[in-house]
Parts: sequence; structure tokens; C-alpha cells
Amino acid sequence: MGYVAVTAGEEIIERAADLFEKQRLDGDAETLSVVQLEGQLERLTAQAASEGGLYAPRLAALAVKQAQGDTVEASFLLRAYRSTLERWDETVTVDHGELFATRRVSPAYKDVPGGQLLGPTKDYTQRLLDFDLEAEDGREGEPDDPTAEWDVADEDPETVTNVMAILREEGLVEEPAAVGETEPSDTTRTPVTHPAGRDEVLQELARGETGALTALGYSALRGYGQVHPTLAEVRVGRLPVKIEHPYTGEVVTVTDVEVSESEAVVPVYAKRDDPQFAFGYGLTFGRNERKAIAMTILDASIQLDGRDEPAENPEFVLDVIDGMDSFGFIEHLKLPHYVTFQSILDRIRSIRERTLEGDGGANSGSDPAPTEVETDD
Amino acid sequence: MSLLEGADLTKIYGDGCESCRARTGDSAGTNQCPVCGSVVACADVNLSVAEGEVLGIVGESGSGKSSLAETLALAADDGGEGESGSRIEGEIRYAGHEGNLLEVDYETRHRLRNGDISLVHQHVRDGLELDFSGGGNVAEKLLSAGWRNYEAVRERVRSLFEETEIPVGRMDDPTHTYSGGMQRRVQIARALANDPAVVVLDEPTTGLDVSVQARVLDTFRRVQREEGVAAIVVSHDLGVVRLLADRTLVMRHGRVVESGLTDRIMEDPHHEYTQTLINSVI
Amino acid sequence: MTETDRPETTPTDAVDSALESLSDDGLEGYNYAYLDEHTKREVRRSILKAIAVPGHQVPYASRPMPLARGWGTGGIQASLSILGPEDTFKVIDQGADESVNAANIRRLATETAGVETTTDTTDADVIQTRHRIPEEVVTDDQILVLQVPITDALRTVDSSDAANRRRHAHKNYGKMWVHLYENVVEWGEINIAARYPTMVAGRYLMDPSPIPRWDVPKLDDADALFVFAAGREARIYAVPPHTAVEPLAFEDRSFQVERFPDQACDVCGSTDTYLTEVDDASESAGSTGSRGGIDGSGGSRGGIDDDGGSDAAETETGSDAGDDGRRYVCNDTSFCHKRRSNPDLPRDHHLDRDDVDWGPGTTAADRGGEST
Repeated sequence: MGYVAVTAGEEIIERAADLFEKQRLDGDAETLSVVQLEGQLERLTAQAASEGGLYAPRLAALAVKQAQGDTVEASFLLRAYRSTLERWDETVTVDHGELFATRRVSPAYKDVPGGQLLGPTKDYTQRLLDFDLEAEDGREGEPDDPTAEWDVADEDPETVTNVMAILREEGLVEEPAAVGETEPSDTTRTPVTHPAGRDEVLQELARGETGALTALGYSALRGYGQVHPTLAEVRVGRLPVKIEHPYTGEVVTVTDVEVSESEAVVPVYAKRDDPQFAFGYGLTFGRNERKAIAMTILDASIQLDGRDEPAENPEFVLDVIDGMDSFGFIEHLKLPHYVTFQSILDRIRSIRERTLEGDGGANSGSDPAPTEVETDD
Repeated sequence: MSLLEGADLTKIYGDGCESCRARTGDSAGTNQCPVCGSVVACADVNLSVAEGEVLGIVGESGSGKSSLAETLALAADDGGEGESGSRIEGEIRYAGHEGNLLEVDYETRHRLRNGDISLVHQHVRDGLELDFSGGGNVAEKLLSAGWRNYEAVRERVRSLFEETEIPVGRMDDPTHTYSGGMQRRVQIARALANDPAVVVLDEPTTGLDVSVQARVLDTFRRVQREEGVAAIVVSHDLGVVRLLADRTLVMRHGRVVESGLTDRIMEDPHHEYTQTLINSVI
Repeated sequence: MTETDRPETTPTDAVDSALESLSDDGLEGYNYAYLDEHTKREVRRSILKAIAVPGHQVPYASRPMPLARGWGTGGIQASLSILGPEDTFKVIDQGADESVNAANIRRLATETAGVETTTDTTDADVIQTRHRIPEEVVTDDQILVLQVPITDALRTVDSSDAANRRRHAHKNYGKMWVHLYENVVEWGEINIAARYPTMVAGRYLMDPSPIPRWDVPKLDDADALFVFAAGREARIYAVPPHTAVEPLAFEDRSFQVERFPDQACDVCGSTDTYLTEVDDASESAGSTGSRGGIDGSGGSRGGIDDDGGSDAAETETGSDAGDDGRRYVCNDTSFCHKRRSNPDLPRDHHLDRDDVDWGPGTTAADRGGEST
């Protein structure tokens, strides 16, 4: 028979999964190790960790491997796993001044205390395919370390002053409404309802899908919105993770996480009598400056709470930003829909029958039905 | 007894303070409280409308007349949809209902607004769904009131279109394709759909060409008389009030400074401000 | 929390040992019925609240499940929260037990909750379903869990949930009624196919999930409890037994179920069930890659019907097609199977009363006559 569901026993499902697995193993290449993925495709694993909302680089690498490089699928694996974990403790809030920056640029100022710190980036190079990388395959021994000859001074890194702090001291920044004394809401445990608090907005953005954030953030810059921020600072580095010691109660650092952070001022003056910049913030796990900046734009846009521009409508942004939601629902269209399709067929046939009969029956005494369905026949 | 009565109606935007009423109004020359900065949109307004009567409220923009109109039409404080940060005090008595209309629950307010007291919004987009058809906008009132017979709804919408002089052939076209005058007529048709006792028109000529203004007002005056529906007409334009209203209130800085028969006010204005208004028109 | 309180399932002292413990790919280490007890309690509380306010959407903290959102994650959370080890579970997708996604959901339930499964509607305690309500009458011993993609009927007229929540609170459904009115203006009749907006207990407008109109009357005054669960949208709502459920329609443009005027099931001959059509022309097109026998001879190419049905149909291929090349088959494959051996089997055969109103074919008006 033809158009019936793709029905199958479990055996068939398993075979389909086996075939998927075989795709990875086809060919002569050696299998990728999780360690390789974690170490060498860090952007990929960082994206999975960020969207999965779980900072576990090794697990993220495993998820990326299992998903064959599909970051949304990988973050989905991480989230499903994360939701089964018990929560032992909550971390203490850390000041982002404690970020140990490996990269820090401040587009807002030519010179900032602590200086511009380019760190590892290819931002300022020509994007030419590097065929030497291909030649690296199969070469014996370790590749050369391009920094091996560097003469690095042994002194402590200079303190890096937060650029926003400078603006804040001057009173130029309108602080977003404080969340208040209450604990921030946890959107993985309490569903977001609108109007959403800024704590909820930031959480959802931080876990949002990189491409979706980029597109929506870009929409605001492209003209569908008012926010064209000046970035005070973009930073990448390691942020300490601290907890209260269960016995002594003292705050202790247990580990650190790599994050990308972005802060911006927006020349939308919050108050007429006391003009101040609006403010946007972005933070995401791993090295993903694009997502952090896009999040900054969206945070600032959402605070405007407009209804006409997509990026300024918090309900719209939060409804479409989550990769797991959009991925699942887009792909669910592959599931059979023949019951509803039959129902739709019934409607259009009924309307065609009546319309082609010359509009006599049910609609008599009423205005003539429009002619859309009559085309062709 | 009159049909609709407002007693000591006051609407304040902002926190308000003890000085608000004393330090604002006609004598103070402002509607903003110098102490706390709150805006007293209107204060201590008393008015009444009899069955079939048309009451005019005239004043320049910022005089509080639109706030008063919204209050009387029960449009404000709409369970989140209305403006926030405002407070309404006073009493509205209505012949069709026991008690103060400012204290009814949402469902009662919704029912009254749908059936008894209609508002024609100043801005079309507040009053109409422009993506709906013109007929659909009128039908919404009927459907919300429980009409469940499609042909009956069609018939009623058709007759309302005829009554308000909108081409019936346009009934099923999206409202955004209508001219400004037609959109205003749809608002009026919608307001009349459930045979209300009172229609509140807030600046009915906003956004219309002068020639269109006159025709829309003529239509409204004819329908108002035929239906015997009472109306409260709010306008900055003395001409509108002169054409429609039996009695008129003059507002300034949130207070009523003069009231009386419209003819009397036009010919023999007592208050200095009213005199200025009339002189500036002529 | 001290170390001894840690679950034994996933050691976290080192990533390697965590990976090690999970490497067997089984669900052995997971809690009973996959979800932790706290989550299941929360889901059950939400279900109770939904029952208390029929048709009202109750937000709950939908968990990420090991299924993609939009693929039944709400349904499975509801099912797993109410299933016990003694229960028998049935899962259908588009009326079929054998659909691949139904099989996947069923497997999660059997592996984590240890429940028995069945394809027989009358044997199940809990039935999770996507887009259908079974043809056989569901009884007061049974709970039907419907998977919901879009929770709010008002979404059609306004995309903002904040605005729609207010409309529900105020029972303000004028905009929906205008939608129906304009529908009739445009098409001469109401053009809504599935997901037909329905009033529950005269108070809340409800999206009954994308069931066909055929199934909507089954919700009215039923013996069974209907639980509607959405994972992606994190809402649960319910129709308790014996609740009035009324599809929105005009007196003179009434609600109509799908019509199958001259059709009968090509397999069992039924004329009183929801049929879906099979276009013979599509068969050759479909055979290029995705079809295969259920015996697995074609690698992973999926079987395309339940076991017996395909046999029966294949022997008759082409023989019974109408002029336009369309043939019809029962959508409820489990009931179709029963009807094949017993063509006159009534849909309330398992009940000790026979006056049950269970949609088209069972109402007094329909009895003894084909609805056209």
C-alpha cells in the first residue's frame, strides 16, 4: 500500500540508526576521538555546550561526535542528559571582574586601562584557505608550535578594568530594572510566561541557538529595530565557579568555565531629563563572540519592549530563539500527517463541490463566494 | 433620573499626593501637580446624560476630555490592556445597572461595553482590526453578544452598513482598504451594533478631511436621532459640538469650567476661556 | 548535600567514570519511568489542576526528554507520570500502533517504566495518541493522553500568548468568532479541517490537538479522561469525563465531520470509521527508496503498513480503486484488524451498554444509516 505511515517494528528503527552510525564509519579515515574533538574543534563543542546549557567540554565533545557534528542535535543530547542529573548545589554569584581574560577588545575607546588584548583570534587575517593544514594529515610527529619562539615576560598580567565601570562611574548608563531580592527564576524548571522578567530573558538567550540569535540580532542592526550598540567590551576568558563550602560556609573556587562576554551601550536615551545610555549584556559558555554580541543586541532591544520590530518584541524573540524547540518542531513535519491531510482534503473538496455547483446550496441568500477555489477547473 | 451620571470623576496618572487637586486645575493653570509631578487628567467632574440626549465635551488637547471619555466608556483599566499607572475615582451611575460602574468586575464591564455603552475611539487602529473585513469588525460586536446565526449576523451587518452609508459591496473587504471616512463609519456601525443606550465619540473627526468630517457627522446625527441613542461627543472642535450636542461642558486643565445648553454657551459664554475658544473659531 | 545522597547512577568524580557508567547505552540507571519523582509529581499536580479547570492550559516545567520536541515529549511526560508497573500502555500515531515514532515512544515506556504494551484499544489503561481518538469507545477505566503541538486555538487569530491568556481569562472569544464568520464569508462554510476550536464546559476555548473533526464529538460527555500535553509549549490541559465539549459553529453553518459518502475501508469494508485515502499513483513514486518489507529484507527501508493490512491490501492492489485511482482504508489500524475477522463488530462491543455516543456512526441519528 502506498501513503500509509512509515510503519516499522523496532527492528527497522534499529537498522535505520545503525545506518546512521555507519555513515560515520564509512571510508578509510581513522575515527575521531572525543579528545581530538574537544581539543581541536573547540568552537563546535563550545556551541553545543552553550546551547545545551551544560558546561562539560568532554560531554559536549561526545555529543558532537554522536550527532556527527550537528550542533543542535548535540545540544539536545546534552539537555536531555542534563535534565536527569540531580542538583546538588548552587554556585555563588561571581563578579565578572574576576574573569581571567585571554582576549578583550573595547571598540568604544581607543585606549582603555589594561589595553586592548587581542588574544587568540583570526579576526584580522585574510580568510584564505590554508592548504598547509591539509598537508598536516598523516605527517609524523607534532606540528610546529608557531608560538615556540616567543619571548614572553614572566610578570603578572595587568589588571583589566571593565570599560562599563568607567561609564557607570560617570552615571552615563541606565541600569536595567533590577531583578529584585528574589532568587532569579530557573527557566529549565519554571516555564516562561509573558511578560518575562529580564532574568528569564537572559537565561533563554544564553541557551539560545547561535544562528537564531545572530539572525535576530542582525535584524535589529539591519533596520528592523532601533538598537545599534557600541560595544564597550568583548571578552573571552575563564570565570571562576564558586560555591559555599558545605562545612565551613566559606566561598571556595571549585573550577572555572570559559565564557564569552559582551557589554554594550545603546544611544537610546532612557530618560529625557537625565539622558543615559541603555545597556545590553551577553554571556555564553565557551568561545562564541558572535553569539555573545547578538545576545547583547537582543537584550538591549528587548528592554525597549516594542511591538513592531521582531527583535524588540520579547515574546517573539523568546518564542523562536530556542534551538531545541525550533529543531524539534521543524523536523516533526517529517512525521506522518495523513489524518489531518485527509481532513483538509475533505474541506477543499466540499468547498469545490459547492462552488462548482454554482453556489446554490448552503450559501444561498448570501453574497457570492469569492472565486479563489475556482481557478483552473 | 438621567441615563448616565458621573459624579466627582477624577483620573490621576502617577502616584498622586495630597496637594494634587488643590495645586492643579483652572485656577492653578496646570494639570500637573507641582509637588509630586502626577498629572491630574480630570478632577471632580460631574455630568449627566438623559435618554436620547447628546452631551458635548469641548476643550483643547490636554484638557482631560479624552481621559474623561474613556472613563465614561469604561475603556480604561482594562485588565492589563488599558493604560497603567493611572487611578480613577468617583462614581458612574447608569440606569441599566445597580451600583457604581467603576467598581464592576471585568465580565460585567465587558458586557456593558459590548451592549450598553459603546466607544468610538479617536484612533481607528484602537477601535478596529484593520485585517478583518469591515463587516467582520461590526460582526464581532454581535458575535460577542452571543449571536450564533450566520445569516442573521449578515443581515444585521448589512443593515448597519446601509444605515451608516457604507457601500454594502465593500462589506467583505479588509478594513485597511477602506478610506478614512469609511473606517470611521465602520466604527460607528460597530458602536451601534447592539443597540446601546449611550455612544461615546472621542474626537470623531480626527484624521478626516473637512468635507468628509461633515458627512460623517451628518450621518451620525441622523442615526442618533433615528435610534434615539444618547451620546457623549468629545472634541477640541467647537463646530463638532455645536452640530451634535444639546448641552456642552467646557474643560480646561482637567476641570469643567463651564456647562450649559450648547446654544447658550455659543452665544453667551460666561467663562473667559470659553470666550477665547469661541472667538478663536470665529 | 553529602556524597552519600548522590544517586548511584552517574558518578561525577571524573568525567571518564561518568562516561564509563553511561557507555552501555541502556536506560538501566535512570529512575523508574525515566523522570525523577519530583518531576512526575509536578506533572501529576498539573494534570489534577487541568482536570479541575477543564480546558484551561496549565503551565508546567516541561523537561527535555530524549525525544525531539514536537515528537510527543509532552505526551510521554504525562504518560510516564501516570503509568505504574501494573499498567498496560498503547501508543498510536495517526491511528497506527506501528508508526515509527509510536514505536519509539512505546520503547521508552517499556524500557523505563516496565509496562506491558498492547495494540488493542480495549486492553489499554493509558493510550497515548497523536492526531486521533480510537474508534472503539474509550471507557472510564482508561486515560487518553493526546500529544499537542499547538496549545491555543486562539493562536490562529493572535500569535501573542500574553494577549490570548487575557482573552481566556475574560472568556473573550469575539476574535475567534469573527474568524469563523470570515471563514464562511470567504468559503461559504467553515474551512477549518483539524484542530477544530471547541468550547469546554461552556467556559474555555480549547485546541483539541490536530484530531480530525470526526473525533471531536467523542470528547463530549465521554466516560474517559482526556489529557492534552504539550512538551515544547509546556502546557497541560484536560477534558474530564462527562464534560460538555462543543465545537464552535453557527446555527445555520453547522459543524460537520469529514464525509466519506460512498467509501468503505478497502481492507475490512467498514463504512463507519475514519478513512484515509491511498492514491495508487503515489505507490510507484514511493517505491524508489523509502519502502520495504517489514521483514527487514530491505535494510532499513521501512515497512509501510501493519502486518496483516499490507498483505490484504497488496493482494487487492488496484482491484478496488475508484475511477480517480483513490482507495480508502481505516485509519485506526487496530480496530480495522478486528473488523477484518468480524465485519459487524460494533464500536462499543466491549461495553455492557449500547447507547454510547462516540462520534459519527454511534449517535442515534447515525445508527442504521450512512452519514453523507
